Amino acid sequence: MSSPALPESFRLRAGNFSLLVLRLLDPRPETVLPALGDQFRRAPGFLRFAPIVIGLQDLQAAPEEVDFRALVEGLHALEIVPIGTIGGSAALRQAAIAAGLPPLRAAGGKDPAEEDMPPPPAAASTEAPAPSPPAAGQPPDFRGAGRTAMLVTEPVRSGQRIYAQGADLVVTATVNAGAEVIADGNIHVYGRLSGRAVAGAADDAGARIFALNFDPELIAIAGYYAVREGLGDAPIGRAVQVRLEGEQMRFEPLG
Amino acid sequence: MAQVIVVTSGKGGVGKTTTSAAFATGLAQRGKRTVVIDFDVGLRNLDLIMGVERRVVFDIVNVIQGEARLSQALIRDKRVDTLSILPASQTRDKDALTRDGVAQVIEELSADHDYILCDSPAGIEKGALLALYFADQAVVVTNPEVSSVRDSDRILGVLQSKSKRAEEKRDKVKEHLLVTRYDPERVARGEMLKLDDVQEILAIPLLGVVPESESVLKASNTGTPVILDSESNAGLAYKDAVGRFLGEDLPYRFLEPERKGGLFKRLFGGRAA
Repeated sequence: MSSPALPESFRLRAGNFSLLVLRLLDPRPETVLPALGDQFRRAPGFLRFAPIVIGLQDLQAAPEEVDFRALVEGLHALEIVPIGTIGGSAALRQAAIAAGLPPLRAAGGKDPAEEDMPPPPAAASTEAPAPSPPAAGQPPDFRGAGRTAMLVTEPVRSGQRIYAQGADLVVTATVNAGAEVIADGNIHVYGRLSGRAVAGAADDAGARIFALNFDPELIAIAGYYAVREGLGDAPIGRAVQVRLEGEQMRFEPLG
Repeated sequence: MAQVIVVTSGKGGVGKTTTSAAFATGLAQRGKRTVVIDFDVGLRNLDLIMGVERRVVFDIVNVIQGEARLSQALIRDKRVDTLSILPASQTRDKDALTRDGVAQVIEELSADHDYILCDSPAGIEKGALLALYFADQAVVVTNPEVSSVRDSDRILGVLQSKSKRAEEKRDKVKEHLLVTRYDPERVARGEMLKLDDVQEILAIPLLGVVPESESVLKASNTGTPVILDSESNAGLAYKDAVGRFLGEDLPYRFLEPERKGGLFKRLFGGRAA
């Protein structure tokens, strides 16, 4: 609580960011940097001063083999700004911290301290949702904190794809067959949902899908999915909410 | 400045060219200076439907490539004097069209026409994208059938993202739904989508419903736009659609099965469903 007598000098707010991850496949900066330099000479201006996260999950190397300081310097020289690491062993992360690269946590992912083995890729692919275990050891439920919603008021048409990154998605029209709506949070459709809906795309098993007229081609929550054929006993054509209960998808009539 | 109208559908064979010919003729009959452009380069048809195939000398590709002047390529209709046709080339492919070239043609036509109709090829590739790029309004032609409705839905999405108006973030392209080949008896038997279902999915204003009619095929084969056939229900429906387009409030016709089917239905209808 800030004292009302003092003028406010800052505000602390949560924010969601989408960052590029540079996954290291080779621990030696002298190999990685020239290859990167080559890549960016072909696309000048691309990534200039872009913040980037260094992915350690694919790296099979002892901490002393990776010269993080040289890597950071080299990246700066290429006008790329590394801001932290993701994945990798605890020892590797320690070495990175010493070079000023704190470990980050993917949205909805586990705390890095809990994952000692090279973890599976954290973010669920929205392209091809596949069953994956729900994230264990979820932090306390802060869902909604700092999350905004994306509002769509026009019909989402066949072939269109809308992704509400780090947000809920609210559609006040229909989502037609052949359309796809994706959100890292919940999805609300105040019309007929005839297309695909993918909620909790960043692995949030608590996300839900709400539709006024539930008639989808496919629905997915946090990587668990069901196609229309598998929705035999779901209340098709009614107002429905869909949520995950363990590994089971639950369809409940609304109202 | 002329209004540019694209006649489009996504799916092929639903009646885009028939509609372009009828609609352009209808606008011209109302005294509007109208030109209709065939964008289906390589599969040119509009000239046949309009009955001017024997008068084609130059085409839109010649104009774009500077081989002919626009005035040399335009064919003036002999039935309605405010109507002209700009044919497509049959011997080239759609790569012969360029955005700059089309822009120039449309700008030039814009000076002395009220309406420029663009008869789009099927699909969502280059030819179709160019046909809709400059549109101010769109007539989306749809059959009461699921694949046609889905393709129309797709093309509506494309209109709102890939047209010039969308790119320049101006007012969106004004959309009109034209349902063609509507057969009330087959709708009643549940073999075709109901008009309400089509409207619910596409959610754009209804310009007209053209009934399935033998007169359309006859009109095509004789090169007479069906709107000139005042005996034909399809022709009358197109006339209504043109009227609505120009702001008239007209009741929808030909939505119910005709009386003559009544007896047949009474005899055999009981066994259905």
